[in-house]
Amino acid sequence: MKKIVAVTSCPTGIAHTYMASESLEEAAKKMDLEMKVETQGSVGVENELNDQDIKEADAVIIAADTNVSKERFAGKPIVEVAVADAIDDAEALINQALEKAEKGEKTEINSNLQSQVSDEKAKRKEKRSGPYKHLMTGVSFMLPFVVAGGLSIALSFVFGINAAEQEGSLAAALMQIGGSSAFALMVPILAGYIAFSIADRPGIAPGMIGGMLASSIGAGFLGGIIAGFLAGYLTQWLKNTIKLPKNLQGLMPVLVLPFLSSLIVGLLMIYLIGPPVEGIMNGLENWLNGMTGTNAVLLGLILGAMMAFDMGGPVNKAAYTFGIGLLGSEIYGPMAAIMAAGMTPPLGLALATTLFKNRFTRQEIEAGKPAWFMGISFITEGAIPFAAADPIRVIPSIMTGSAVTGALSMLFGVGLKAPHGGIFVLPIPNVVTNLGLYALAIVAGTVITAFMLRVLKPKLEE
Amino acid sequence: MEVNEFINKNLIKMNLESNDKDSVIKEMIEIMAENDVITDKDEVIKKAMEREAKGTTGVGKGVAIPHVKSDAVKRPAVAFGRSERGIDYGSMDEKLSHLFFLITVPEESHDEHLKLLAQLSRNLVHDDFRNNLLEAKDEEEIMGILEKI
Repeated sequence: MKKIVAVTSCPTGIAHTYMASESLEEAAKKMDLEMKVETQGSVGVENELNDQDIKEADAVIIAADTNVSKERFAGKPIVEVAVADAIDDAEALINQALEKAEKGEKTEINSNLQSQVSDEKAKRKEKRSGPYKHLMTGVSFMLPFVVAGGLSIALSFVFGINAAEQEGSLAAALMQIGGSSAFALMVPILAGYIAFSIADRPGIAPGMIGGMLASSIGAGFLGGIIAGFLAGYLTQWLKNTIKLPKNLQGLMPVLVLPFLSSLIVGLLMIYLIGPPVEGIMNGLENWLNGMTGTNAVLLGLILGAMMAFDMGGPVNKAAYTFGIGLLGSEIYGPMAAIMAAGMTPPLGLALATTLFKNRFTRQEIEAGKPAWFMGISFITEGAIPFAAADPIRVIPSIMTGSAVTGALSMLFGVGLKAPHGGIFVLPIPNVVTNLGLYALAIVAGTVITAFMLRVLKPKLEE
Repeated sequence: MEVNEFINKNLIKMNLESNDKDSVIKEMIEIMAENDVITDKDEVIKKAMEREAKGTTGVGKGVAIPHVKSDAVKRPAVAFGRSERGIDYGSMDEKLSHLFFLITVPEESHDEHLKLLAQLSRNLVHDDFRNNLLEAKDEEEIMGILEKI
């Protein structure tokens, strides 16, 4: 059987692209041909032609009113027409393509600048599809929660770092808005919208529920990312796999999908992700407790790196809990290292988005501004949107900066008696010892984080 | 996502009054405005005309699908109109158009909506689908046909 591949595309990408695709497929069916049509519409590229398809094809039809890259069809007979022609008379178009194939007409592709440019564009578009696109969807929905929550908490510190403990006070209200509401929603939103991007609306419920569980089992935003992808792909799979008789199909979106997928995601989070997370946290806490006698600088280095690793996940919590525990024993050095190391991730990212704008998206550059305030307030979560969007490059960068800050803080013998508050604790007498060197440690880590990001993150094209 | 989230009986006009292309576009956009789908009628008309200038949306076989993607659109919606005597819409096959779908989507639209609109467009290619729409007696029947896509 002869095989033809086609690409359809139109300016708005809402209607013509798909009508042309359908016409071509229908005509091919009538003519007993194999046909695969790639649609480049507003939803992006669907039914994409792979190398195998193109290799097998006898001819290529491009029905488009936009610039479709022809590079990949080099050496094939190509018929190129307006998208309307495919809707109007697909059969004639197919005959034309077959004729060309029979005559052995091959299209020479000039690798001119324009096709190279459009090829590059296509490649970049590709990069933004798949898991990366889903992650970015989740991050962009989470971002406002991080900013709103972080700034509310920072504002509550203005009234004094312990003001929020006073019930009924404005500081307590701000903490309730930022800490127990906005930040509590952060990971569920991240997970929910990752799943939404994968499986559309049915993904939201299992994603958010999975994200909520990631929070409550202490798995942090990395656990939330796992929950989001799990929920998305599972829901998608269930949607395609479960076949109900027609009269019961209405039950799919309202009953079967949300219940089944939430149940499975929830059980996996609790029984599969939960125990190792708890194990990691307990193990790390024990390990740290065994280290109290070792080299102070090394301890600072480790605590610093741990603070930045998962920002609210088990590793970060183990370090933070260890520091708090030592406050009770009147050992103040590790707490100082921990707070400083928790301030540099958002500060370093804020600095990097200011200095190296070509390595961040416009949204990230804007998010860099509130990150300054979250950094100085010891709200490490300010770095989460950046880390979630590009974990492989951002997490090592912030870990390096935080490790250096932690080590320096220990080296300088800084002590801190308050477990939170960022710069708002500094004016309080006797809370921090060696203030000047403490500031130096924080600045050093911030600068190192920013330069690590400069090195690791690739330039983005305009 | 269901078809009835885009279109309902109020967005269907069984007998369009217009006689030419410009006025039928305006007539269809008026339906959208009456149903609170768009915020700025003039902006939507401008966008629709711009799209037509790039190439007619009269796709032949008696069908025209003017469409608008704009911030002046509140939600994805479809208005359907029918003209028994036909309107010269400057179609590709130079015949009169009888079935009109005005599609409006906001600049930022979700894939799910766009996929359903794509599905509607695919159906328009089929003779049966168009004939059923032409023969439908009332809004109810039109909805019945559309709900099956």
